[in-house]
Amino acid sequence: MTEPKFDELIHQSTRLSIVGLLAAADWAEFSFLRDELGMSDSALSKQLTTLEAAGYVAIDRPVSDHRRRVRARLTDAGMAAFQGHVAALRQIIAVGPA
Amino acid sequence: MTHDITPLEASGALDAIDRGRRQVIDEIDLPTWYWWGLALGWIGLGVITDLKHPWLTAAATLAFGAVHSAVAPRVASGRHRTHQVSVRADVVGRRTARLVIGSVAGLGVVTVGAALAASADGARHPVTIASVFVAVIILLGGPRLLAAIRRRAAAA
Repeated sequence: MTEPKFDELIHQSTRLSIVGLLAAADWAEFSFLRDELGMSDSALSKQLTTLEAAGYVAIDRPVSDHRRRVRARLTDAGMAAFQGHVAALRQIIAVGPA
Repeated sequence: MTHDITPLEASGALDAIDRGRRQVIDEIDLPTWYWWGLALGWIGLGVITDLKHPWLTAAATLAFGAVHSAVAPRVASGRHRTHQVSVRADVVGRRTARLVIGSVAGLGVVTVGAALAASADGARHPVTIASVFVAVIILLGGPRLLAAIRRRAAAA
């Protein structure tokens, strides 16, 4: 069972959406994240850089079909932090209003 | 803990996470070309079988099987509809590829049954008729099968 651990970095709404989406995927292309989340290139890039700096997201740049692609994926640390954060949110709901 | 989150805010955050998961689940599918390729290949095999040249039928069947065996492992999992995202295996479920391949095998049995029925009815090209029938099942039923898998994944 995952230990609840509220994560301030993940909880920011945009980053929560990014991490929530990446948690269900092995990887996702930058353009997929941008389109699905309705973000601008610069806004998404900024949030991914923050998550990458925290060690939660890894950015890969494979070349396929002669095109350089940008893919993001959750690292093991990112997945652990995400699962801990989800457990913390569930705990808050279970405990109820203070 | 430094946070001060109400249960309502926590619930909203979980909803946002669930939305992200569903956006990825929406990507569970097989490429459209797989269903069309399978349906057209099926009809082609039926037409060749009706030519009644055993060696040609055997060669076409082997070629069809070889191409399908080469393609199916890459797409039958339903995790790579496009090159934009790879859905996690535990989100798709482990049975998807087996369901797709098993359905294709089952359609082989349906084809034989339909061809025998058409032949008994005096049709001149029973296998072609049966393969067209099955091709329609592939084109209509394939996407429905994956839609059911998406619903199951969303409910998990």
